Amino acid sequence: MILIHCPYCDEKRPEIEFVYGGEAHIARPADPATMNDAAWERYLFIRNNPRGRHHERWRHSHGCGRFFNAVRDTVTDRFETTYKAGEPRR
Amino acid sequence: MSDVLARAEPIPTAPWVGRDVTIRLAPPAARFSLRARKAADVQDALGREVTGKIGTTINGIACLGPEEWLWRAPEGTATPANARIAITDIGHRHVGLIVEGPRAVSVLSAGCPLDLATFEVGRATRTVFETVEIIIEREAPDRFHVEVWRSLSVWLWMVLTTTAGD
Amino acid sequence: MSGYRLANGGRIDRGVRRRFTFDGRPFEGFSGDTLASALLAGGVQLFGRSFKYHRPRGVLGAGSEEPNALISVNRGPGRFTPNLRATGIEVYEGLAATSQNRWPSLRFDLAAINDRLGMFFPAGFYNKTFMWPRSFWETLYEPAIRRMAGLGNPPTEEDRDHYAATYAHCECLVIGAGPAGIEAALEAASTGKRVILVDEQDEAGGGAMSDPALWPWLERSIATLAGAPNVTLLTRTTAFGYYHDNFIGAIERLTDHLADIGKGPRERLWRIRAGEVILAQGAIERPLVFDGNDTPGVMLASAARTFALRHGVAVGRSVALMATHDSGWRDIVAMAKAGVGVCAVIDARTNVSNDVQAEAKALGIPVHLGQCVIGVKGRHAVQAIEVASTDGSRRRTIACDALLMAGGWTPTVHLWSHARGSLAWRDALGAYVPETCSEIVRCVGACAGTWDFGAGGLINTLPSPKPSHRARAFVDFQNDVTAKDIRLAVQEGFRSIEHIKRYTTTGMATDQGKTSNLNGLRIASDALARPVTDIGLTTFRPPYTPQSFGALAGRAQGPLFQPTRKTPIDGWAEEHGAVFELVAQWRRARYFPKPGEDMHVAVNRECRMVRQAVGIFDASTLGKIEVVGPDAAEFLNRMYTNPWKSLEPGRCRYGLLLREDGFITDDGVSARLDDDRFHLTTTTGGATRVLNMMEDYLQTEWPDLDVWLTSITEQYAVIALQGPMARKVLEPLVEGIDLSPGAFPHMAIRAGRICGIPTRLFRVSFTGELGFEINVPTAFGRALWERLMAEGQHHGITPYGTEAMHVLRAEKGFIIVGQDTDGTVTPYDAGLGWAVGTKKKDFVGKRSLARPDIVAPGRKQLVGLMTDDPNLVLEEGAQIVADPKQAVPMTMLGHVTSSYWSETLGRSIALALVAGGHGRTGETLYIPMPDRAHSVKVCSRLFHDAEGARLNV
Repeated sequence: MILIHCPYCDEKRPEIEFVYGGEAHIARPADPATMNDAAWERYLFIRNNPRGRHHERWRHSHGCGRFFNAVRDTVTDRFETTYKAGEPRR
Repeated sequence: MSDVLARAEPIPTAPWVGRDVTIRLAPPAARFSLRARKAADVQDALGREVTGKIGTTINGIACLGPEEWLWRAPEGTATPANARIAITDIGHRHVGLIVEGPRAVSVLSAGCPLDLATFEVGRATRTVFETVEIIIEREAPDRFHVEVWRSLSVWLWMVLTTTAGD
Repeated sequence: MSGYRLANGGRIDRGVRRRFTFDGRPFEGFSGDTLASALLAGGVQLFGRSFKYHRPRGVLGAGSEEPNALISVNRGPGRFTPNLRATGIEVYEGLAATSQNRWPSLRFDLAAINDRLGMFFPAGFYNKTFMWPRSFWETLYEPAIRRMAGLGNPPTEEDRDHYAATYAHCECLVIGAGPAGIEAALEAASTGKRVILVDEQDEAGGGAMSDPALWPWLERSIATLAGAPNVTLLTRTTAFGYYHDNFIGAIERLTDHLADIGKGPRERLWRIRAGEVILAQGAIERPLVFDGNDTPGVMLASAARTFALRHGVAVGRSVALMATHDSGWRDIVAMAKAGVGVCAVIDARTNVSNDVQAEAKALGIPVHLGQCVIGVKGRHAVQAIEVASTDGSRRRTIACDALLMAGGWTPTVHLWSHARGSLAWRDALGAYVPETCSEIVRCVGACAGTWDFGAGGLINTLPSPKPSHRARAFVDFQNDVTAKDIRLAVQEGFRSIEHIKRYTTTGMATDQGKTSNLNGLRIASDALARPVTDIGLTTFRPPYTPQSFGALAGRAQGPLFQPTRKTPIDGWAEEHGAVFELVAQWRRARYFPKPGEDMHVAVNRECRMVRQAVGIFDASTLGKIEVVGPDAAEFLNRMYTNPWKSLEPGRCRYGLLLREDGFITDDGVSARLDDDRFHLTTTTGGATRVLNMMEDYLQTEWPDLDVWLTSITEQYAVIALQGPMARKVLEPLVEGIDLSPGAFPHMAIRAGRICGIPTRLFRVSFTGELGFEINVPTAFGRALWERLMAEGQHHGITPYGTEAMHVLRAEKGFIIVGQDTDGTVTPYDAGLGWAVGTKKKDFVGKRSLARPDIVAPGRKQLVGLMTDDPNLVLEEGAQIVADPKQAVPMTMLGHVTSSYWSETLGRSIALALVAGGHGRTGETLYIPMPDRAHSVKVCSRLFHDAEGARLNV
C-alpha cells in the first residue's frame, strides 16, 4: 500500500483513503457545442497512457475529500510530486 | 417533541467493558456539516473561534478539509438563522463511538491505517477502518471519538468489540 | 533408527515432556523441540514421499528452507493444515502429525513405482506425453497425475478458527532476530525510536541458538530488548511480503504451538509501516548435487548442527560430512565436541586451510581431501556412501548413517527482491547479494553477504566417474528436479532461466527454491557455457513462506466479512418475516410473505393492496444529497439534462444524469427546498458514484460556483406510502402541512411535522398511485413506521418489498438504471427525451447526444413487450430475434431487461432493449429458448393508467 502526499492535508496518507481519477489536465471544453466530432472524441476518449511520468488525478475521498493532481512513474509506481487542482502542470 | 416517537439506536446503549478498554455509544448529539470558502466565514456565522487547519478541532468544530467543517454540539443546538454559509443537518447521519482506555490505540489500530500513537490530542480527520469510512478525533491521550455512518455502525461495533476481546 | 537424544545440551527443557503421534505412532519429545528434532531423536529418518517420484525423503534443513519433510496436522474438525514443515512445527502435548503423498503407508508406498520409471519422467514429460488426444487431458491424464503427484490434501471443512489483523507503525523494523538483527535492533532501540523486531522462529536468536558460546550474549540482549518500552519483539512471526513505501506484511502464529488453543485468534496479520527496514534474514546453506543426495539421512551440515546444539539431538551415530566449504568443517567439529560420532570429513577441495583442518584432525576425525561422494547406499536411510577422488580413482565405500552437505551459502534476499532491490553477483560467495533499492532499507549480516562464511569452492555438480545419465542427483528436492532435467532443458533449446524454471519446475514449489535456485542457475550456466549473470535470476515474490488464507483474510470472516447496511426499519421487517435481498451493501426487504405464501403469491397480494388501498415501503436506502449555496440551481442545471432554474421552491422534478459520453448513469426525483437549497435523490447503488461525480465537476471544472454538496442518505429514514388511501393514513399524523390536492399537488415537497417530528414530506410516486415519501431523522424511522402501520390498519395498509416495487414501476414503464439501462443507453434510447432540456446551452453529456453513433438509426431502444401467451413470464436477459427459423448464430435484436407477472393486468409484462424498437410498435418478435421460441408483440411501456389519472387525486 503506497503512501500518497495529499497537497491539501499536507501529509502522507495511506493509499486506501484515496481514489484514482484518471489522466490529469484534461479540462472540459468551455463550449462543447462548437466542437466538431473529432475534437470531442479526443476530449472524451483519447488518453496518453505513457510509460513513465504520468500526470494523473487522485481524490482524497476518505480524507479531506479534495481532487488533486500527481505525477507518478507508471514503471516504478513512485509518486514524483502531488499538487493542488488548478495549479499548473509539473 | 421527540417524546411522541421514540429514538431507536442501532447498537447497544450499554458500554462494552473489556481489559483496559471501554467502547460505548456517544449520547445523541446535534451535528452540522458547515461549508464555506474560509474559516473566517464560519467564524462570523457562528460567532465563535473556528480552526482553518485541516485535521484539527477547536470548540467542537473539526476542520475536515478545505471548505468543510463538522460541528458536533449538544442535542437541540439550533443553527444561526440567515447564516451566509452552507449548513446541513447531519445529526442522524452518524453514530458516535467512544473508545477509551490504555488499549484504545491498539484496538483502533486493528483496522485504521493511521499512526494513531502519534496522532495528537485535538486532531480530527476522516479516514477508514478497513473498508468503512470513519471520522476519528483524539479527545484525550486515552480517549478517541469515532463518528461512523449509522448503517455501518453495527459492523464497526462488532469489529471493535471482537478485537478488544481478543 | 540412527538418530538419538544426546545426554545433555541444547535449549530444550528436558523437564517438560511432550507426547505426540506421527502417522499414529506415539513419540515423546521435550518442550523446545520441533517435530523434526523430536522425530530425529526418536530415530525416525523417513518423513515423507517426494512430489513426483514418491521417493523416500528425510529432513534436509532445520528451518523454513525445508523442502522435504512436509506434514499435515489435524487438530479436529475444521482444523486441518497440510504442507507444514516438520522443522517449523513446535511439539505440543497431543500433537497429531501425519505424513503426506503416500499410499497405503509412508514406508510402503505403491506409487513409488514412479521412481523405478524415473527415466520415463524427464523434464517436460507431462507437456510432451499427455498432449494427445486432447480430450483425454481433463478426463484421464490430469486426474491420474493429480492422484499420483502432489502435496498434502486440502482441508475439506470450513475453518473453525478466527483470525486477527492489525496495523502497526515504527521508525525501525528489523526482520530476523539472529545476531545481526538483534544488534541492529539494540542500536536502533538505544536512540529511542519505535522498533519492531520480528522472527519466524519460536525464540529469538537465529543462528546464535546453535552456538552455545553466544548464549550469554543472547540472553542479555533479549532481556534488554524485552525491557525497552519502545521495542516490540514478535516471535513466531513471518514477514512474508515487502510492499511499497516500507509496508510489510507479517503473520504471527498465536495458537499453533499450544496444546490448548483457547478462544483467541489463531493468527494475526500485521500490516507494518516502517520508517526504515533492516533485513537480517540470514543465509541458507546450499545442498551439494550428487547421485542419491535425497536419501533420508542426507542433510545440510548447518541443520545437523542446529539439531545437535539447539535441540540436543544427534542425527546419527556415525556421521560423515561432504563439504566444498569451510563452514561444514566448523559445524561438524562443533557437533563432535557435543558428543556426536563423526566418521569422515570429505572435501572436494585439495586446498583446505590448515586452521580448518587442524581442529578436525585434533578430534581424530578421518579427513579425505580432493574426494567426493558419488553415491549413497540405502533407500529409506543412509547405510553407506560411495567415495571417489575427483579424478574418479580410489572408489570405495564408507559406512555411515548420516551424511551432511556443506555447499556454501546463499544470502536470503527474498524480501529485498520483493522491494525491487537490485542484486549483484559475488563470485567469492557463488551467490547474489543485495545492491541498491529505492526503499529505505538496508541488509545486515549474512543476507547482506557480509558474514564470515569462511572459504569455499564452487562446484555445481560433484564430479563422478559414473555415467551422468544414470545419476539421481537432485537440485530441487520438493519438485523432484534433477541436474539431468536442467541439462535436458538446455539441450532442448531453453536459454533463459525463466523458461528453464518453468519447463523443469525448478524453484516453483512451495519452498520457492530456497535451497535449489542457485544450484539450478549454476548448472544451467554450465550447460549453456555462459556466465551466471548472463542468464538472469528468477524473481522472488511474496509470500516468503506459505501462509494461511485465514490469516490473509484477517477479521473479514463470517458476519465481519463486510458490513451489511441495515435501515432503521430493518428490525421491524425481520420481526415480520420479511425475505431479504442485498442491494449494493444494503439489506432490503424483498417481500413480506404471510404464512403459506410463496414469493409469487405474496408479491401479487402486495401489488394488489397498493393499487386498491395503500402500501408502505421502506425507501431509506435511496441516495440523498443536499445541495446548498447561491449557485445550487446553476450547478444542477449543468449536471442534469433537465432545466432546474425555473423550478419553484416546494416543487420536485425527475432528474436524469448522464456521463459526459451521453449515456444514462443515474436518475431520481429532487426537490427545491429553498432558493439556495435542493434535496436530491439518487438510486440506492449510485449514491456514492453520483456524489463523487458531482464533486469532481464542482471542484475541478467549476470551482468558482458557490455551492456545496453533502450526503444526507443516512440522515433521513424514508417511508413511502403509496395507494389511493395514502392521504387518509397520513392526515391525522401531520401538522403544519395542508395535504389537500390543491395545496399539495403531485411532485411537490412540504416541510412540517409528523407525530411531532420534523419531516420533509414529498408527494411523489414510483407506483403510479397517489404517493408520499416521508423523510424523518433516521433514529425516529422505526417508531414512525409503527405509527403508520397502526394508523393504516383500518385502511388495509400493507408493507411491500422491493419485488412488488419493481412490478408496480414496470407497469408504469419507469426504468431502473442499471437494469433497463446498461451504460450504453441515451435518454432518447430510453424514451426519456422529454427530460432533456434541449434549450439549455450545455449540460454534462449534451454534446455527446449529437455524436454520429448516437444519432444513427437502429440503436437499441427501450420498449414494452407483451407475450402472445399472457401466462408466460419471460426470462430477464433473454435474447430477441426477428425470425426464429434463421440459421445459428442468429441476428440478435436486443434483450429482455425486466419481466414480471402483473397482478394488476392479469398477465405478464416485459421491458426490453430492441434495435429500432420505437419504430416497431405492433411488430411480432421472438425469444428463442431451449424448448421453443416465444412470440411477443412490441408495445408501449405504459402498461397501466397511461394518462396518469390515478396520480392526480
